[in-house]
Amino acid sequence: MVSNVDKRKSKILNIVAYGIVFFIVVPLLVLSFWSFAGRWPWPGLFPVGFTMRGMEELFSKSANMFSVVTSSVLLSLTVAVLATVIGTMTARALVFYDFKGKELVSFGTILPIIIPGTAFAMGVHVVFIYLGLADTFIGVVLVHLIYALPYTVNIMMDVTAMTGDNLEIQGQVLGIPPFRSFYHITLPLIMPGVISSVSMAYIISFSQYFITLMIGGGKVKTLSVVMVPFIQSGDRTIASSYALLFVLSTFVVFILLELVIKRFTARLNGI
Amino acid sequence: MRPYLLLAPLILLGILFLLGVGNALIQSLGYIPAFGMTDLTLEYYKQVFSNPTLIASVKVSLVIAVVSSVLAAIFGVLLCAALVMNGYVRDRIVQAIKIPILIPHTIVALFMIMFLSQNGLLARILFHMGLITAQDGFPMLLYDTNHIGIILAYLWKEIPFVAYFVLALMTSINSTLGEAAENLGASGIRSFFHITLPLCMPAVNKALLIIFAFSFGAYELPFLLGATIPKALPVQAYVEYIHPDLRHRAYAMAMNGVMLLITLGISGMYYLLSRKTERMNGEQRG
Repeated sequence: MVSNVDKRKSKILNIVAYGIVFFIVVPLLVLSFWSFAGRWPWPGLFPVGFTMRGMEELFSKSANMFSVVTSSVLLSLTVAVLATVIGTMTARALVFYDFKGKELVSFGTILPIIIPGTAFAMGVHVVFIYLGLADTFIGVVLVHLIYALPYTVNIMMDVTAMTGDNLEIQGQVLGIPPFRSFYHITLPLIMPGVISSVSMAYIISFSQYFITLMIGGGKVKTLSVVMVPFIQSGDRTIASSYALLFVLSTFVVFILLELVIKRFTARLNGI
Repeated sequence: MRPYLLLAPLILLGILFLLGVGNALIQSLGYIPAFGMTDLTLEYYKQVFSNPTLIASVKVSLVIAVVSSVLAAIFGVLLCAALVMNGYVRDRIVQAIKIPILIPHTIVALFMIMFLSQNGLLARILFHMGLITAQDGFPMLLYDTNHIGIILAYLWKEIPFVAYFVLALMTSINSTLGEAAENLGASGIRSFFHITLPLCMPAVNKALLIIFAFSFGAYELPFLLGATIPKALPVQAYVEYIHPDLRHRAYAMAMNGVMLLITLGISGMYYLLSRKTERMNGEQRG
């Protein structure tokens, strides 16, 4: 039964919705356009010509873009997978068990969202120098994990609570060992959560600038760290080219991730 | 035993997190043995609160965080209402709303530079409409003490975030209670403000807390779009952190301490308020 309320669309609310979509989409279009803009003197609405200068900068040997993008994607994928595994483990502990300190743990999971990033980054920098983790790939993965976990725990808790553990326990009753029964029964059911958790953690890691710079010390080069000086410099053509590469590489990774996860799920279900 | 095994990696990372924050606090009290500073003192906090530049930094960060998060909450709820009441929840529009979540703040800063600088696209459009005659005629929105560029950049990210954060709850409330009220004769606006919105407030408040804490403590946007003087707290703290005179590191940490106290204070207030409303709701039901 669809009530007549649905059909009565408010004009003002329509303007709000489409207006905001307009403000979201236009900058992205302009960004793609500006990556190829040549000289663009005031007050022209369009550039005088087009140029491949931005693309040449990206693919020049000195920029070493291929290795930066690869290592950057690899780093964020590592974070995404680990954050999702840890998120799933934490979610299972918080949803299926009652234990001492449960409230404290679930409060602790949101702390990294609330506590200012600069306070943690500057404080942990010295700790990492002592531990030999400063300027290393592992060090950067660890701090990115801390920022991704509040979101992945939240996502995995929702889907874990919805799925429950009845089927898994039935599997165990029938004699399947606990991990196998999780792997073959629960995992396919929580896959939608796994996809959003992996994507969320990936984008959080891929976007980090300040903390990557602090802990990576400029030695761990991510696309964010390489891009920001160009945004600062005011060369909008080159900055736009980097930003375009950032956005496009994110989309490509997301499409591939979904494909891989779907295949994996199909294989799980097939067995 | 089982839950603690499952929690082990989270707890290890939590310890690392607390070590970092705790270390920042200890250093803010002037205890940095590596630099031969071993006396605990509140001196650096006193200096932060007696130095006009640093007080100005506290104000800058508070203004940016309060204005951007309150506006984002209002417009985010409005956007969410537009999506829910006009039936766009399963529409392409929702996909578009998710885009800003994928775009990092650094790229949003670039958007602002493209559109809002004095030779940016908006200024050029106004010039062609005959509203301004030169670049100077366009107001300084970036790198200025009015912080408008930074606030607009946060709004671009956070309005869709709030809408998306509240969307699921508002959809379910509206489809049950909101429409019931309308079928009983309440107007759309009345049922929204008296039924749907109050029931959505827990989610709205949570979103508000997240975006306030983030915009108060984040480095990227004030670094890329902020005025030279005064700088936002995180940017000023980093300036002190990399100061050649290593004793300035204690100032940096004291500024971090101030940020920490303010965000923890606000989170504490949020916690108490949400418990109070939960209790009140419980009493009403009982």
